Amino acid sequence: MIDPILKDDVLLRKSARGDEEAFVQLYRRHQAPLFRFALRMTGNRWAAEEVVQDVFMTLMRDPKKFDVERGTLGGYLYGIARNRIMKHQERLPRELPLDPEVEEGNAPLAGLSDEKTPAQWVELKQRREMVRDAVMQLPVEFREAVVLCELEELSYEEAAAALECPIGTIRSRLHRGRALLLAKLEILRDVPKRVSAGR
Amino acid sequence: MNEREKQRMTCEEFEIAGLDLRGATRNGAQDAEAWEHLRGCGRCAALHENWRLLQDDLHAIGAESRDTEISGRVELRLRQEFRTQHKTVKIRRAAVITSWGLAAAALLVVAVTWTTWRHTNGSGSGKGSPIVVRAGQRVAPEVTNTATDQSGGTDETLLASNDSEEFTLLPGDVPGTLEDGTVVQVRMQRGSLGAFGLAVNEERAADWIQVDLLVGEDGQPQAVRLPQSNSN
Repeated sequence: MIDPILKDDVLLRKSARGDEEAFVQLYRRHQAPLFRFALRMTGNRWAAEEVVQDVFMTLMRDPKKFDVERGTLGGYLYGIARNRIMKHQERLPRELPLDPEVEEGNAPLAGLSDEKTPAQWVELKQRREMVRDAVMQLPVEFREAVVLCELEELSYEEAAAALECPIGTIRSRLHRGRALLLAKLEILRDVPKRVSAGR
Repeated sequence: MNEREKQRMTCEEFEIAGLDLRGATRNGAQDAEAWEHLRGCGRCAALHENWRLLQDDLHAIGAESRDTEISGRVELRLRQEFRTQHKTVKIRRAAVITSWGLAAAALLVVAVTWTTWRHTNGSGSGKGSPIVVRAGQRVAPEVTNTATDQSGGTDETLLASNDSEEFTLLPGDVPGTLEDGTVVQVRMQRGSLGAFGLAVNEERAADWIQVDLLVGEDGQPQAVRLPQSNSN
């Protein structure tokens, strides 16, 4: 039985020596945020699972590439995930919705209360689909910032650690991502254009 | 423009810093300035309100997929891959160790064999028992200038081998009884070999040659050997 409070680098060393349970614990510790990140970046559940699997395969095959002096294991894994997502997006066109279950109407809409009329329900659903599409159409670097800070609701510090970049970069990317989202969704139709939405 | 107006947040600054306002302040002075700007600027108030609605949608979308879990198949595949990889590593390691072991064993065998051969060879050319052949048993084909009978060549002719390793038994001696003999090196005329019962080429009977005599315990020569130096 592996001690659940063991640090990532300790688990990784055990894993490199062939301790399967240590590896599985690392996987369980990091897979959920990575999977959600990949899912929101690719919009495809299958692709997101492939990304996560690739990330941990890479970690398994070459654990020595992670240097504890250079950052956290989480950040390192996010880095691998980002590369895999980029490769995935170079290969495949964006075809599938962000969340197929939602697209199929199987999942409840968050924030939907019983007081809403069917018309309001449909309007809300359509708006969220538009928002999802707008997020998916953002350039990758802005989408990463929006996904982490708005969808995952991470702090700037956490997002910066995940993407291994300065907080200022996160702020700047998030600002431009927000501006692009607002522009794409034409929410600012009746507001004089001031937001610099272009890249 | 008074000092207070100079310090107020502009619309550009609000777009960068003010959109994060969610009621509770997080960055004291900056948030206060943003709120102040918001109260005085209708455009930024509309922008903020639109962003707030969009942010609610983003958070709701985030919440919808927050409980989405990765398939258990991924963990199973990773476990399987982990086992395969580490099993392969173990097998490879065992193979490497075995190969090195075999190589070391082979090297050891070669070293022992070579040492043994060298030891045997060294003792054979030194003080060990001389090799004795019976006169007339064999004639080296290159022997032309030794104490051989050039005109003879029959099985009955006694010939001294010029193989530096082998002694030729003198007539009347019994093979196999010479292990304790002593080798005596003498210089003599080739014709003197006739006294031992060996055939001598008369034309070269006056030549002085180096001869190794194997002398028995009784002091009598029992075998003879012509070292290679005499061949030339």
